[in-house]
Amino acid sequence: MAGETYAVEVDRVVKRFGSLRALDGATLRIRRGEVYGLLGPNGAGKTTLIRALVGLVVPDGGTVTVLGRPARNLDVLARVGYMTQQAALYPDLSAEENVAFFAAIHGAHHGVREALEFVELWDRRGSVVSSLSGGMRTRCSLACVLAHKPDLLLLDEPTVGVDPLLRVQLWNRFQRMAADGTSILVSSHVMDEAERCDRLGLIRFGRLLAEGTVPELKGKAGVDRLEDAFLKLSGTGAE
Amino acid sequence: MSGRRVAAITRRLLQQFHRDRRTLALLFGAPLIILGLLGYLLRGGGDVPVMGVVNLDAGPLGAAIASQLERTKTVSASTMSEAAAESKLRSGELAGYVLLQSDFSARGQQSRVISPQIHLEGSQPGLSQTIVQAVNESFAALVGQAGGVRFAPQVMFVYGGPSFDTLDYFGAAFIGLVVFFLVFVITIVAFLRERGQGTLERLMASPLRRGEIVLGYMLGFTVLALVQAVEVLAFCLLVLHVHNAGNVGLIFVLEGLMAIAAVNLGIFLSMFARTEFQAVQFIPLVILPQVLLSGIIFPISTEPGPLTVLSRALPLTYAVEGMRNIMIKGADLSWSSLQLDFGVVLGFCVLVIIAGILTLRRRIA
Ligand SMILES: Nc1ncnc2c1ncn2[C@@H]1O[C@H](COP(=O)(O)OP(=O)(O)O)[C@@H](O)[C@H]1O
Ligand SMILES: [Mg+2]
Repeated sequence: MAGETYAVEVDRVVKRFGSLRALDGATLRIRRGEVYGLLGPNGAGKTTLIRALVGLVVPDGGTVTVLGRPARNLDVLARVGYMTQQAALYPDLSAEENVAFFAAIHGAHHGVREALEFVELWDRRGSVVSSLSGGMRTRCSLACVLAHKPDLLLLDEPTVGVDPLLRVQLWNRFQRMAADGTSILVSSHVMDEAERCDRLGLIRFGRLLAEGTVPELKGKAGVDRLEDAFLKLSGTGAE
Repeated sequence: MSGRRVAAITRRLLQQFHRDRRTLALLFGAPLIILGLLGYLLRGGGDVPVMGVVNLDAGPLGAAIASQLERTKTVSASTMSEAAAESKLRSGELAGYVLLQSDFSARGQQSRVISPQIHLEGSQPGLSQTIVQAVNESFAALVGQAGGVRFAPQVMFVYGGPSFDTLDYFGAAFIGLVVFFLVFVITIVAFLRERGQGTLERLMASPLRRGEIVLGYMLGFTVLALVQAVEVLAFCLLVLHVHNAGNVGLIFVLEGLMAIAAVNLGIFLSMFARTEFQAVQFIPLVILPQVLLSGIIFPISTEPGPLTVLSRALPLTYAVEGMRNIMIKGADLSWSSLQLDFGVVLGFCVLVIIAGILTLRRRIA
C-alpha cells in the first residue's frame, strides 16, 4: 500500500521538444487529500508536467504514477479531472450542456447542478458559452471537471481572470474538497495564491527547485517572503 | 484612406503565407496538378470506345462501311458475328455495335435510304455519342460513291434509351458525390474545430477510448448525412425525375456507405491539418482528382492506361459505378459488378475508420 499514500508520483521525468527540454528531470510527490501548488514562471514546464500526468505528453524518460498506476490508464482517468489552461469548451453549447457532456464522458450522470453552483454559474446555466465573459468561461471550465467528483483534480492556472472575491471563495472550496479527501494540484505563476496551498513545488526550467510547506521553503532559503525564496532557490537572486 | 495602413494589412497577409508553406504549395502546386491531370486525361492518347461490326450484307455497301469503320481512329471497331456482338455488349466489353442487315445494299439501292441498326450499351453517354458519330462519318465518307442516299440509322439501347438526357446519366453519379463531398467538408472542419478550441485535449485526457471518439463522431455525422441522403434522393427522383431502374433501398445503402466513408476520411485527414484553413485545402485535393478520374464525366475505359490504374484505385470510382449500375442498369446485389462496387466502398469505409483511429492515437503523443 506504499503507493497509496501519494496521489501523484513524478520521478525524474524528461520531455524534449526538439532541442528544448520542457521537463528536465522533474520529481515531485502529491499526497492524498492535499492542495499542492505548482509554482513557476511562464514556460517553466507546469502545463507540460500536468499533461504528462494525463498521458497527453509521453515522457522521454522517468516515470509518472497517478493514483497508484502508471500513466496513462483509462480507469485512473475516470477518477481525474483535468482543467486545461485555456478554457476549452464548446462555444455553441450552453454552460449546462458543456458540464453535462464532460460529466458524461467521465461516466457521471449527476452532479451537474452541484458543479455549476460551486462556480456560481447555476443562474447562467442556459447561456451559450460564447456569450459568457472570460472569467465565467474559466469557471465553467472548472465546473466541467467537478461534476464527476474526481479523486484527483489537476487545475492549470484556474484562477486567471477570476475576480478577487470569487477567487477567495474558490480557494476556500478547494481546501474543503481537499479536506474531504480530494487531492488537488493547482499550478500558478502568482505567488499570493501559494499561501493557500498545503505544500508547494517550485518549478523552473523543467526542474523542481524545492518542495515543501510555505514555512519550510522560507526557512530553507532563509528569507521572509516567498518571492525572495523563489528567487534565491532558483539562483537568480541577483535579478 | 492611408496607404500605410493598407500596406500593413497586405504585408501581414504575405507574412502569414510565408509561414504557411503548405498553403503556398497548394496555391502554386494544385493548379498545375489539376490542369496537368486534365491535359493528360484528354490528350494522353487514351483508348477509344470499342465497338463491333456485324456485316450480314450480301452487297458491296456493307463491306465498304465495315472497312471504313475499321480504319477510323475515333473508335476501335472489329468485325464479329451477331451472337458474339450481342453477348459482348451485355457483358460490357463493347460500348456498342453496328448491324448491317442482309438486305442492306439492296434496300439502299431501292429506297435510297440506308438504315443500319446501331446497338448501344447506353450507360456511358460519351461513348454512345462517339459510336453514332463514327458510323455517321463512315457513311458520309461513302456518300460520294452512293450518291443521293439518305442515312437513317435505327439506334437501340440496352440501358437507358433515346429519352435519356444528360441529367439521367450524371444524376446517378452526382447523388453519391454530393453527399460524399458535403459530409467530408463538414466533418473535417468540425473535427479541426475540436482541436482548435482545445476540447480534443480534454477528450484525450478523459477515459474515452480513441475508438469511442471516432465512433461517436461517425454516428453523429452519419445521422445528419443519412437525412441529407434521403433529401437528395427524394429531390432527384421526385422533383428532377432522374431516371431510376433500380431499387431505391439499394441506392440509399450505397449513399449511406459513402457518407460513412466521407465522415471517416474527414476525421483521418483532419489529423494532417493544423488549422481549418489548411483543412479546407484538402477539398480540392481530395475532391477534384476524384471527380476527374472516377468516371463521372470521362469514361474510365477511354482514359490513358496509367490513369485507368489510378481510377481503379479510387473508391469514388466504384461508388459512381455502383450508382449507375443500380439506377441506369437496374442492377441488384446478385450482379457481380455491383457486388464489387459495394465491396470496394465497404472496404474503403473500414480502411478509413481504422486509419482515423490510428492517427488519433499517433497525433496526441
Ligand atoms: N507541444 C509543444 N511543442 C514545442 N514546445 C512546447 C510544447 N509544449 C510546450 N513547449 C515548450 O515547453 C516549455 C514549457 O512549456 P509549458 O509547460 O507550457 O510552460 P508553463 O505551463 O509553465 O508556462 C515552453 O518553452 C514551451 O514553449
Ligand atoms: Mg502553462
